[in-house]
Amino acid sequence: MSTTTASLFFAILALATVAGTVALAAFLVVGRFSGDPARLDPIRVDLARAALPVAWVVALVTTLGSLYFSEVAHFVPCKLCWYQRIAMYPLALLLAIAAWRRDLGIRVYVIAQCAVGVVIAAYHSFIQAFPPDSGTSFCTVDAPCTERYVWQFGFVSLPFMALCAFVFIIMLMLVAGPRRGASASAPTGANS
Amino acid sequence: MSNRPSKPKSPSPSARVAEAKKAAGGNSRRTLWWVGGAVAIVIVGALIVAIVATGKSDTASGVVIKGGGTVVPAGQLAFGDVIVTGPPLAPQPENGGTDPAIGQTVPSVQGEQFNGAALTIPATGKPKVVMFVAHWCPHCQKEVPIVAQDLAANGLPTDVDLFAVATSTTDTRPNYPPANWLHGENWPVPTIADNNKNAAAAAYGVGGFPFFVAVDANGKVVDRTSGEITLDQFHQLVESARTGQKAATGTAG
Repeated sequence: MSTTTASLFFAILALATVAGTVALAAFLVVGRFSGDPARLDPIRVDLARAALPVAWVVALVTTLGSLYFSEVAHFVPCKLCWYQRIAMYPLALLLAIAAWRRDLGIRVYVIAQCAVGVVIAAYHSFIQAFPPDSGTSFCTVDAPCTERYVWQFGFVSLPFMALCAFVFIIMLMLVAGPRRGASASAPTGANS
Repeated sequence: MSNRPSKPKSPSPSARVAEAKKAAGGNSRRTLWWVGGAVAIVIVGALIVAIVATGKSDTASGVVIKGGGTVVPAGQLAFGDVIVTGPPLAPQPENGGTDPAIGQTVPSVQGEQFNGAALTIPATGKPKVVMFVAHWCPHCQKEVPIVAQDLAANGLPTDVDLFAVATSTTDTRPNYPPANWLHGENWPVPTIADNNKNAAAAAYGVGGFPFFVAVDANGKVVDRTSGEITLDQFHQLVESARTGQKAATGTAG
């Protein structure tokens, strides 16, 4: 598979996570303002069951994609790339264990770590989309963070992909939580 | 004996728990199958789309463009042999200000094109604009098609030579090799593949990418600029080289 194909592949997956994020956000909003939120409990329970495995798949694919671009395509990761890697790579392992144990107690840790990743990825996406312009814009060896190794659909860069993954994982963790005011029927903790 | 129907025997508490767990386990497995299937479909679908979409690659070669000029060969040469004759230009100042190279005579640069054919950017002769590009630089990637399309539509200037140098080449950065990139963009400007020491770029005092140098017929630098420029600014550079006077409105630098 060529680098161009891989770039497009991961860009499409990133857009898929955007669609998933929008759907989950809509679900949360409907659940929050619905007159009868308990009506959504069956869906909520299903989503809660699936959240950890799906989040693990997202973290794993993101990690493998990141390794592909650096080790196979030889894209040199910049400093900001490394910070995002630090936030994402551990999730591939931790979410696997949590999914196996059905330990939803991991939600708060994952959300905190992803929040850090979101901030860095958002900033990195911004400077790749709008490179710092001091009268002119040009590339130097000293400022590789603005290099668009990947630029699909006119806006999908590598940090944008990471941003999508972080946000989607956060949304999955949010829907995996109990409904506000619900009884303890929804899964909230380690499965015994 | 009583006629009352016998009460159904209720299961013990432990049996109820086991039954609930069994039911929950069944639902859980079913949910995971559905979600796992959906995730797999998304991943496989994305893979198929990516492979199909990128399978239609551009394979044009040696095409003469409408406006004259020949598309650079795809070739395999990443680094050519470069011989610089004459003193190098002063480096472009990092913080703007007066460019010390204005009025300096450019050195002659002998090099090789992507197919190994010799190409020389002479010091003197016709006015010329020399453009330095790096394959990994997104600004170069945006600039090249703009210039290429303009040249295809309006033709190469007849009284000003255009040259390009593909420099700072490295296989550790994207869009490598530069030959494939420029060929894919139908780049019609005669192009030298710089050597692995970037000798041609150093000879012209390149300070950023893309980098443009307008040179008059006497070999004197009229204007230099780095960074993306508009098509109008590119035409001004050509005009500067043609007239030997820096265009009044200046360039992006």
